[in-house]
Amino acid sequence: MTSSRSGPRKQTRKLSWDKQYTRELFRRYRLEGDESARDELITMYLNLVKYLASRFRNRGEPIDDLVQVGTIGLIKAIDRFDIERQVEFTTYATPTIVGELKRYFRDKGWAVKVPRRLQELSFRVNQAVDALTQRNQRSPSIPEIAEYLGVTSEDVLEAMETSEAYNFVSLESDRGGDGADTFSILEYIGKDDAFMSIIDDRTTLSGALRHLTPQEQHVLYLRFFEGLTQTEIARQLEISQMQVSRLLRRTLKVLREHIVRD
Amino acid sequence: MENERVTLTVPARGEYAKTVRMTAAALVSRMGMSYDDVDDVRIAAEEAFVYACDSEPASGDVTLLFLPQGDLVRIDVSLGSGGPVHGEDAERRASYATFILQSVCDRFELSSDENGAWLRLEKRSSSVSIDDV
Repeated sequence: MTSSRSGPRKQTRKLSWDKQYTRELFRRYRLEGDESARDELITMYLNLVKYLASRFRNRGEPIDDLVQVGTIGLIKAIDRFDIERQVEFTTYATPTIVGELKRYFRDKGWAVKVPRRLQELSFRVNQAVDALTQRNQRSPSIPEIAEYLGVTSEDVLEAMETSEAYNFVSLESDRGGDGADTFSILEYIGKDDAFMSIIDDRTTLSGALRHLTPQEQHVLYLRFFEGLTQTEIARQLEISQMQVSRLLRRTLKVLREHIVRD
Repeated sequence: MENERVTLTVPARGEYAKTVRMTAAALVSRMGMSYDDVDDVRIAAEEAFVYACDSEPASGDVTLLFLPQGDLVRIDVSLGSGGPVHGEDAERRASYATFILQSVCDRFELSSDENGAWLRLEKRSSSVSIDDV
């Protein structure tokens, strides 16, 4: 993985980060508690946020808002980055920032007409699952979610079905047309080169799996190969449990279609 | 609801997948299963249903028998009498369904006797803290 990269895109400024200097800043922030180093890191990687946010433009949201949302992801990534790990900061930060942007779009992009009541309920169920998981340190039961929200269990189950109508913001759809845009995906999948070989060894599904985006593969891998629960995956990838659920179901559907077609 | 059986028979067509998913989810949520487990059961029920549709049951129907036993639910899904699946596409789908079912269920087996063939799934309520792992 290279730490500097520039694209031919007109509106994107040159993306350039100094690996050595990044490490130095993290060292100063973590070991010496130097807050100015943290600020400098934020400024330094703001271009990464702008770059990633620009991939979500033309979705009806002002780019400034997206940059603001993405910056929250950047700050989370800076605060959580493990400097002992042999992974570039950009590799680590990209999914966190994209995750934050997706979280923002989650409540906006309904693919099909879903009654407003159900949209809202689905959103509230999502929040309740996150809150209860956090509070109880386990996945909540359906009645617990229902009680928390003051609705019936049937309402919660209906919301689980409804959430699948949601138009998942996919990196795949952003990939076409502009060659420079593969940047974050490469960074992301680059973290685990052994991934595809594991799949090749363990299933006959490798052909179909190649139709999935790295994030989809990642979720699939964690769920079905590592045996992690949805809660654990959500925590690891810093997305919501319901997003994991949607992503899994969407992934399974894509796989099933491709298994037949290939 | 210990040992109370619930049987659902639907036409062996994809558009009934939602009915199957929602029925399965409603039943196991009554058992107190977690959101995670309920979602696993939804996935499992749908995969098993699709598998059963591919087995081309002569009756044109698929029957799912749900049997809660303590913190475990057993789901038997009827298959066509001619064996599990027919055709190359269906076989590929079946190997895929098998893979998914093995992952989301605690136990999964394909059985047959003089009354026909069926898939038997078992899913146990995990109810472990995410910090226990």
